[in-house]
Amino acid sequence: MRALYIALNEVRLYLRDKGDLAFSLLLPIVTVALIYAAFGGETPFQVDAYVVDEDNGLYSNILIDQLEAWDGVDVELLTASEADSKLDDSDVLLVVFIPENFSENLISGEPTRLLIKQRGNAGTEGQIVRSIVQGIAGEINKEFGVRSSVGEILRDTGIAQDRINVTLERLLEEERARPLVGVNETTPGEGSSDFETQFLPGIVTMYVLFAVAMTARIIVEERRKGTLERLLSTRLSVGQLFFGKFLANLSRGFVQTLVLLVLSYIVFQMFTPFTFVQSLVIAIIFTGAASAIGIVIASIARSEEGASWIAVVFSVISFMFGGTFFAIAEDSAFYLLSRISINTYANDAFNTILDEGGSLADTGTNLVILVGVMVVGLVVSRMLFKVVPGGK
Amino acid sequence: MAEDFLVATDLHKSFNDFKAVNGVSFTIVKGEIFGLLGPNGAGKTTTIRMLSTVLESDSGDIAIGGHSIRQDAESVRALIGVCPQDLALYEDLSALENLVFFGRMDGLNTQAARTQADEYLKLMGLQDRAKGKVSTFSGGMKRRINLAIALMGDPQLVFMDEPTVGIDPQSRNNIYETIEGLRDKGMTILYTTHYMEEADRLCDRIAIMDGGQIIAMDTPRALKARIGDSDRTTLEDVFLKLTGRSLRD
Repeated sequence: MRALYIALNEVRLYLRDKGDLAFSLLLPIVTVALIYAAFGGETPFQVDAYVVDEDNGLYSNILIDQLEAWDGVDVELLTASEADSKLDDSDVLLVVFIPENFSENLISGEPTRLLIKQRGNAGTEGQIVRSIVQGIAGEINKEFGVRSSVGEILRDTGIAQDRINVTLERLLEEERARPLVGVNETTPGEGSSDFETQFLPGIVTMYVLFAVAMTARIIVEERRKGTLERLLSTRLSVGQLFFGKFLANLSRGFVQTLVLLVLSYIVFQMFTPFTFVQSLVIAIIFTGAASAIGIVIASIARSEEGASWIAVVFSVISFMFGGTFFAIAEDSAFYLLSRISINTYANDAFNTILDEGGSLADTGTNLVILVGVMVVGLVVSRMLFKVVPGGK
Repeated sequence: MAEDFLVATDLHKSFNDFKAVNGVSFTIVKGEIFGLLGPNGAGKTTTIRMLSTVLESDSGDIAIGGHSIRQDAESVRALIGVCPQDLALYEDLSALENLVFFGRMDGLNTQAARTQADEYLKLMGLQDRAKGKVSTFSGGMKRRINLAIALMGDPQLVFMDEPTVGIDPQSRNNIYETIEGLRDKGMTILYTTHYMEEADRLCDRIAIMDGGQIIAMDTPRALKARIGDSDRTTLEDVFLKLTGRSLRD
């Protein structure tokens, strides 16, 4: 009961310390927002395609529509004089000119050419636009080749031209929707390409670890100020004091995790009620392991500065090797190193629940390892922890 | 004959090769204010830590209220209160919250802790600042809170380690009056200080420590009589005579 009261007292202190509260709650939220802004969109790049449409016909419109349909491509229409002026001033590096009679020539089966004007090598964005335009032109060529060939073959069969055109259009549409040779995209490693499931658990575990490890400093400060010694002269036993400090760290980590997960629930809608509860269980076990390590740090640190440095180094190593910002493949050089980080096991467990649709039972090994770290950490810190030098 | 409430017998404590306490023995009778004086590094704080169960002695024994620290430390802790030299307070809590928290740790329920806290805040003249955050308090107010916490749980013996260091005469006088009031109520007090006039005013008996040993122990008057006329000699004269004038630390 007294241990619980110590924990409650610590939570009260935590909630009153505005700086601490800002660090442990607002900073993770800001980090999530920044990373979401940087990586959370559907498209990894954005380019402007500058087009001069001197044709303004059916097929120039189709070409422009197809160009705009590409993810991340914005089409900006210019007049010929504007385009030349911008190219002269290097305001743009590449412009696609669709010539007059482009559509008319295509319909009549006459060859026609797009004109690409560029400065230098057109830069990376220009090269991307050029490749896309060439791809679209190739597709249009192929389709007109097919139309021409089919029309030629069916010319003397008596089938109405309208029927041929409608059937041909339907078949081409199907071909566009289900091409014979398609391209599948995959992200190397085991991680999800979704922002929420890829980054959020890592950010949550990173900040929980950071905050809990940093509480080592608070314990060392209490030892210096004499409050721990004073507590030991009350009816509180060393075991109660020790367990109280552990519970305090656990409570603090729990408050932080709860706030972050609830926010994630609301903002990203990435949980069902069941996965939310499962994620909370993982977070509590992880917080327990981190809390035990925090007390080990407090036990070995001689000063508050020492505790801070050990906590910072430990936290940075843990979240770097813990697959916080990138997934670590099993065959990579990082894999073995990642096993020394407790974040790895928490992140793996979160991924099992959130990304792979598994349950807590499927996270067994990861949770067992985290519980093991917690138990070993508590035993070691109990052996090392001294309230006064040479004393209890 | 007065009852011995604290009996310390042949206490020894070393840190590596350094003998911090080397064969200290003394008794404190119930209701007595016992002064433990000595230069810095004399072994006073180590002795108090052993008496308050925080530090285990290498050898020797301590009995408080008839309970041996080695065999029944929990019963001993139920009888004692500690006012440490450092301000061992939670600065982000209010004065009241500090007292209630330590009261709970001393085994009081919330209601009893609250009642006692109100009583001791009044005793210290801090009832109007009960809900003020300790970090906003002056040094003297913090010292009084530090002492009030030691009284939570109604201990029979209180260890006061330099409770008046670094505060103004008004706060110091308030603490003197509080201590004298506690003695009148029968509380036993072990008191350390570097202010000799303070020890002379408050203490019934004084032990002077140096080099981890007690080098003199008697009433203030008897100690002064050892080196001259007790009416004209000060306790500081005695102290310097016994411990020398060389700088310590």
